[in-house]
Formats: sequence, structure tokens, C-alpha cells
Amino acid sequence: MHTSAIMGDMLHLEQLKDSVEALSQKVVKSHQQRTLELETALRWLEEVPDSNTLREQVKAAPDLAESAAIPATDVPLNQRITQTNAVPKETAVVAVDGSQIAPDRHAAVLYYLIQVGGLLFRYNSEAPLPFAKANLYHEDTDLFDQEGLVITWQLGLRRTVAEIVYLAELTKIAHKVAHPSPIIALTDGPLLWTYRNQRDEEKQAFATYMEALTTMQKEGGMPAGFTERPGGNPLISLLALSKKLGPSKTAEQERELRTLTDHDLMARFLKPGQRSAWLQRSSEMNTQHAHHGHRIWFCYINVGEPGYPVIARLETPEWAAQQTTWCETLHAVLVQQAEVLHGNPYVLARAHELALVTNKDKAALDIALQQRLFEQGIESHTSEKARQKSYLSWQR
Amino acid sequence: MDKTTNAITIGNVLRADIRSFVVASRIPEPEVPTFGTFVWVPIQQGHSKLIGLVYDIRLQDDPFLRHLAVSVDETNPQHQEFIADQRERAIPVEISVAAVGYCNEDELYRYGLPPQPPMILKQIFVCTPKEVKAITQQPDWIRLLLETRDVPTDALIARTLERSAGLYGNPGTKEREAYLIPALRYLARYMTREPLRLETILQQIKS
Repeated sequence: MHTSAIMGDMLHLEQLKDSVEALSQKVVKSHQQRTLELETALRWLEEVPDSNTLREQVKAAPDLAESAAIPATDVPLNQRITQTNAVPKETAVVAVDGSQIAPDRHAAVLYYLIQVGGLLFRYNSEAPLPFAKANLYHEDTDLFDQEGLVITWQLGLRRTVAEIVYLAELTKIAHKVAHPSPIIALTDGPLLWTYRNQRDEEKQAFATYMEALTTMQKEGGMPAGFTERPGGNPLISLLALSKKLGPSKTAEQERELRTLTDHDLMARFLKPGQRSAWLQRSSEMNTQHAHHGHRIWFCYINVGEPGYPVIARLETPEWAAQQTTWCETLHAVLVQQAEVLHGNPYVLARAHELALVTNKDKAALDIALQQRLFEQGIESHTSEKARQKSYLSWQR
Repeated sequence: MDKTTNAITIGNVLRADIRSFVVASRIPEPEVPTFGTFVWVPIQQGHSKLIGLVYDIRLQDDPFLRHLAVSVDETNPQHQEFIADQRERAIPVEISVAAVGYCNEDELYRYGLPPQPPMILKQIFVCTPKEVKAITQQPDWIRLLLETRDVPTDALIARTLERSAGLYGNPGTKEREAYLIPALRYLARYMTREPLRLETILQQIKS
């Protein structure tokens, strides 16, 4: 009998020995490849042409346009933007996050829950104001899709909308309390809509999302999406495209940067506290955003410490990014907020804490529901499968 | 009982029996109850109330605060908002309560084991001064504490007598004496075989 089985472990690690070795070898090889590619990418970035030339190059290669970023301004792409000013007094920052309990057909009662949490943080030496709101959904129209199946992907969509709507509400509150300019409105994750809008519910949700951005615009808010450790390589794609269409070709230019991400490049390129120039994507989704007046620009920012870069992608609407003083305030806020938590903006961490629904919270809610039903003469219980699973989960 | 008194929202009842219970909650630091606070909780589907005394408060491990503590500097003017937020922030606490009695819908206090421990609760309530005076009018609330193990009984009795005596008057006043003397006589009767223990308790109470 294997040792792990005697100890009662659930994961049979001894069976994964070869896979662990293969994975570690893959990571090592990838790391080596990335190191080589990084030197190339850094050189390309230092030699990058001016933004106008880059935009012309992207126009000349429309088949590559969707994957490559486009310079949003005339600021050179290889410029590192530093913000040394302190956050202006009375600046207001609102941040939200969301949490959920998914519908579980094995539970005693079918429902789902979305909780949003937020923090209104003002630079006025006073305690920030916490907010939280939970909604329990139990109507059939909430729980089942058009085919009568319990919802799955819809929950993430509804949570995204709940977060942005709540962010707009908090922006309004911040505007009533004071009239700072701007009101930085932060969300954890992308600001660019991430759904394809192929389904009716997605289209309706998108409309609500755009309305929330409009509300924030009217209330003097600067919505910004903060995504730590972003994936993708639109900037690298732009550099590669530029090299490919450049005046002279070398063997190096023909090399594809297969493993490098923008995150890797920016972790070397940006020093702590610096951000990149603004970029944008000419994707289908950004075009839809533009139709509503909310085309999204993005940049990269390093909110880490010397020797420990923490790279995030920052997204904000074009109308906000075009305001220079707003960008300076946003930059200063993020650097200062991230400093106390070593790279994670404090307001976002607190918003997450205020939104969080733990397993214990769920258990307490389930018990409260069952107790209330019992008081009314109804016995409800989980499925036998769920009960058996709960016996095993106590070990976690 | 006055339902508009200070209420502590409970996250989970961790352990409960008819002698004591422990709840976990997240409450702002200023609202964390103190040792010897009288509280009440609804039991029997709200038809009765369990009366108890807070005998232990444990601040649970708070990774967020631990992470922040390394970098926040109280003397740094740029950190004032973070510090202010942490002081108001709901912190995870475990509150242990020892039962001293209960009352039914007739609002008469009975000093003994309650009929039922608390179940999953929405809130426990801190008793008002008026309610504390009503509970401590008879010294019988002490008896159950003397029989309870795993509770710092002596310190709890001394602290509770001191605090409740304060509701009747300052040290040296007749009203305070009128309250304390019967309570101390009651205590003495139960501790005839433990004079040193009795003396320790008495020394903690200002007459």
C-alpha cells in the first residue's frame, strides 16, 4: 500500500511523479526561451519607431491588427512615465469587488447569491467608508435558462454587471460627499467587456455595463480596471509587426517571440512606480465600446518594489485617459495604494474582503434557510451525494 | 428586553451547549465586547432569552492585518487613512459566553441552566444598564458561574460585581452598598470552604 494511501491523502502524488517532472522541465525550457526572447524584445522596444509610423504599419497589416496594440497617443512607446507627486489631498477613490454562491441542485434549497463590496477611500485623514450589498436570487427566471437548465456561465456575467453597477453607485455617493476631480473608480480585472455578445443575455448585460460607464462619466468618475499579472502580448505583437514591416530585415526579425508576454517585457522594462504609454486594441469588442463612447485604452504599470516587479494592466476609457491630470492622479493613487500591500492596491484588497462570501458563510446561510423552512413545517435536506461529499471535505 | 440595544452580528456559532457558547464574528474594534459584559441571545425560536456573560474574547489570526503591519507607519502622514480604516475595520473575533440564566416571555429571570443552547443566530445583544440592574437584582446569577468549569470564574465574578455595582453608585454610597452587601454575603455562603479564594475576589471590588 502506498504511504499516501495509509495517511489518507486524497491526491495520489506518487502517480504524478512523471508529470511533475515533465512540467518542471517544460517550465525550465520555457524560462530559457523567454530569457532569449526578452533580450530581443527589449532591443526592439528601445529601437521602436515613433507612434505615427507604428499606426501606419498597423494599418498596412489589417490581418494582424486585432492581435496587436496600437499607440493611443504620440508618446513614444519606449518612454517610461514616472509619477513622483503625492496624491492630491481630498482625492476620492472607490473600489468594488464581487463574490458569489453558485446555484447547487444538490443543496437543500436552490438559489444563488451575489455579494458586492466596496470602499470609498478619501485622502483626508479620515477612515474610509465600507459598503456591501448581497442579493439572494431564487425566482425561476433567475435560476433557469431558456432551456430550463440551471444557469452556469450566466452567474459570472451577472456578477460582472453587479460590480460595475455598484461601482457607479459608489461613484455617485463619492460625488455627493465631495466633489473631487476625478473620482478614481477601480475594479479588479479588465474594464473592456470580456463577453462576445452573441447571446441575448450578454447583449442586455453589455447595455447595462455601458450605462454604468456613462453614469460614472457624468459623476466625474474615472473608471479603471486593474489586472495584475495580465496575460497576452498585444505590445509584443506590435513590436514584431513593426520589425517585420521595417526597412531592413535581419534573421532576428524573422524570429517569432513564441513564449514572451507583455508582462515579461514590462517586468524588465518598467521600474517600480513607472507606467508605459497608452495603447489601444482595435478589436471587435473595443469597436462596440467605441459605439457607446467608451473606447478603452490601456497601459502597463509596475506597482512593485525594486527586485520584485508587480506588473498590472490598467484599462480606462479614452475620454478619461485623455485627461492628463486625471492620469497623473490615477498613477499616483495606484503606486501609493499598492505600496502598503506590496503590489496589491489597498482599496481593491479591502473591497475584496468586504465582498467575500466564505464557505462558512454559505454554510450559515444554508442552515438559516433550512431552519426557517423547518419552522414552517418543511423538511429540506441536501442530496445524498452532497452529504457524502461533506464528510470528505472536513479534511480540507 | 430592549431590541434596539447594541447588537453584535454573529457569523457562526462555533460551539454551543446549555452552559456556554462560542461565536465567531467580524466586528469593528470599538464594538468588541469586554470581559464581564452581560449579553442576551434569543433561544427557543425567539420565545426565550439566554442571559450570559462574556468571559473570553479572542482576536483571530488576521492575515490582512499581518501583511499590512509590516509596511504601515503610524508617523507617516500618508498612511493615516489606512490606519483609520484598520481601526474601524471589522476584525475576526471569537466571543465566549457563559450562561447565567434565562427569561421567558414573562420577562422573569431564572438563574439556572437555560432550556436550550443558542442555534444559528442573527445577533446577540449587549444588555443595557437597565437590563443589567434587573438581572443582578438577585445575586443568584453567581451560582451557575461557580459551578461552571473552563471559565475564569473568580475574575469574572469580581469584574461583573464591580461593573454592576457602578450602576448603583460610586464607591462609598449607600445605594452601592445596598447592592453589594447581599451579593457578597451570597458569595461568602458558597465559598465558606475557600476563604482565600473569596478574599481574592473581594480585593478586586471597591466598596
